[in-house]
Amino acid sequence: MRLFEQIRQYNYKRALKYNETYLFFVLIVFGAGITIINPTFLSPENTFDLINSSAGTAILAIGVFLVLMSGGIDVSFTAIAISGQYIAVNVLTAAHVDNLAFAFLVSCSVGIALGAVNASLISLFKLPTLITTLGTLSMFHGGLLAFVGTKAFNTGDLPNCFKAFGQASLFTLTRPDGSMYGLSVYALILLVILIASWLILRYTMLGRGIVAIGGNREAAERAGFDIVRIQYFIYCFVGFLAGIMGIMHVSLLRYSNPNYIVGDELNVIAAVVLGGARITGGSGSLLGTMLGVAMIVILEKNLVLIGLSSYWHQFFIGLIIIVGVSITYYQNLRRTNQRVVFVKE
Amino acid sequence: MVVVIIIMSAALPNKFLRVINFQSMTNQIPEFGLLAIAMMVTMITGGIDLSVVSTTNLTGVVAALILKNMITPEMASSQTFLLMASAVAAAVALSIVCGIVNGFVITRFGVPPILATLGTQGLFLGIAIIITEGHGITGFPEKFLFLGSGKVGGIPMPFIIFVIVTFLIYIFLNKTKLGLSMYMVGSNPTVARFAGVNNSNVLLKTYMMSGLLAGISSVIMISRVNSMRPGYGYAYLLQAILVVVLGGVDPYGGFGSVLGVVMGIIILQVLQSGFNILAFNPFFKKFIWGLMLLVVMIINFFVAKYKQRAKKLGVST
Repeated sequence: MRLFEQIRQYNYKRALKYNETYLFFVLIVFGAGITIINPTFLSPENTFDLINSSAGTAILAIGVFLVLMSGGIDVSFTAIAISGQYIAVNVLTAAHVDNLAFAFLVSCSVGIALGAVNASLISLFKLPTLITTLGTLSMFHGGLLAFVGTKAFNTGDLPNCFKAFGQASLFTLTRPDGSMYGLSVYALILLVILIASWLILRYTMLGRGIVAIGGNREAAERAGFDIVRIQYFIYCFVGFLAGIMGIMHVSLLRYSNPNYIVGDELNVIAAVVLGGARITGGSGSLLGTMLGVAMIVILEKNLVLIGLSSYWHQFFIGLIIIVGVSITYYQNLRRTNQRVVFVKE
Repeated sequence: MVVVIIIMSAALPNKFLRVINFQSMTNQIPEFGLLAIAMMVTMITGGIDLSVVSTTNLTGVVAALILKNMITPEMASSQTFLLMASAVAAAVALSIVCGIVNGFVITRFGVPPILATLGTQGLFLGIAIIITEGHGITGFPEKFLFLGSGKVGGIPMPFIIFVIVTFLIYIFLNKTKLGLSMYMVGSNPTVARFAGVNNSNVLLKTYMMSGLLAGISSVIMISRVNSMRPGYGYAYLLQAILVVVLGGVDPYGGFGSVLGVVMGIIILQVLQSGFNILAFNPFFKKFIWGLMLLVVMIINFFVAKYKQRAKKLGVST
């Protein structure tokens, strides 16, 4: 009975103001629709598979979310991820080392170093974030292809640790025919990163600083936040996450091609803005971001199921971004217009 | 710019200063030059248009379809001409519609231009992919190719179009009321509003204009290459931004001139053909363009800082 009482007292009007609520319902309707067409959609096997393949995107999305919270934008993270992955694979093969921890170390170091390049440009020279990261995207990826190499690594050439990591499971279930499938460790990695980011954002001075810069840079500076230091943290953290994602990506695909990942920026950004994060800063939530990722991944995996060819993918991503940001910013615009006196243009 | 040309000619004495090299340069300038000017217009108002290349793709595909499917060799020349004109008109009209979509999302919903045009970038390209199912369209009527590869008095036709359009934009920005309002909105939207400028209206027209320029660029593109494939010309986006920043346009809005951007275009093209002669691989070029964009912005930062310091000193003495 108490639960019932609580549900009745819950402030629904307040919930309706949040993007996450809408997104959650859209997701449920969407999921239900797909399940009707294809009943295997909700099977544990398919769900595990979805989590497995979306963990990488989700980790990148957390990074992009942090950047958006601080009022910037980063489009170079894909180039950082592929640089981390490809350099790590190269180093491991050249040194004949077969150690996953070492691979993560190399990849994340590359990620942090490239993130620091972004941070230096953005914080020390006060350059616009979009144009800077567009420049570094081109520079990192071009540099990777020109100086490190263009040769793809096939499954046979890859160190074994990647393959083992890609197949490691938290627990396994058995199919009726006797073969095994399981929930990948990727889910655990994602969960750890998610909780860590949430704690940083919510309970540390650094995290509050990120939100404060996004809300009002000037005010944050006067309140005593060290903006240069915070921006270094943000972009290095994005690089670090991209490094992790790079290793996860190669382990899952068992194939390393220096032309992969780059070009998927829009998917990740779409997921984040769909989750309600505003580029003008200071608002949005990690929960929304995760819902956004779920939405994008489910859409991507099930386009064919709905009866549309994969050619529609790009179109839907664009449409989602446009509709998502329009709703978020329109709410904002209406709120400010109510306060401002000279609304008539 | 002069320095770059001298260095290039000194480094490559036999190849660089040849008429044919300059002719091929004037062939390539118009496509990304028009995109750069489209980018400049939006940057003057403090925005950015990331969808220019996608607009080019979409309009190019539509024009290409009209040319490919409606014109048959047996047609009378007047009828062919009419259809060709309508293909160009359709491309231009559609590009303006693309611009209106951008402008509408930005002004009516208050979405920052970065996100709005990032979304339409995917949207327009997506439509182009759906229409063509990812395939390229090739082989247009020979007369249509004149626009892209014909010559009038030794000067390539696209270059003539480019010069005319650039001149019109120059006049527009410097001599009309709307042009002035664009600078005002870019340097300070609030002040512009109080000065009686209709900000939304100005922004809408700005994005219409950048769409239009992208449309003209697409017509030149399809007739020069004689084919259209969605996804063509994606390197132009970075190059257009590079050129605009190189030309002294302030990405935060309010400053920039057509003349500066034209200088930027010429510098980039000179470097480009220099790289081609040196046979750099495309990845290395990608690296260089990114690096150059960043270096130019850092230099601009120091120049602005130096100017500010000089001004302060002037006041104190």
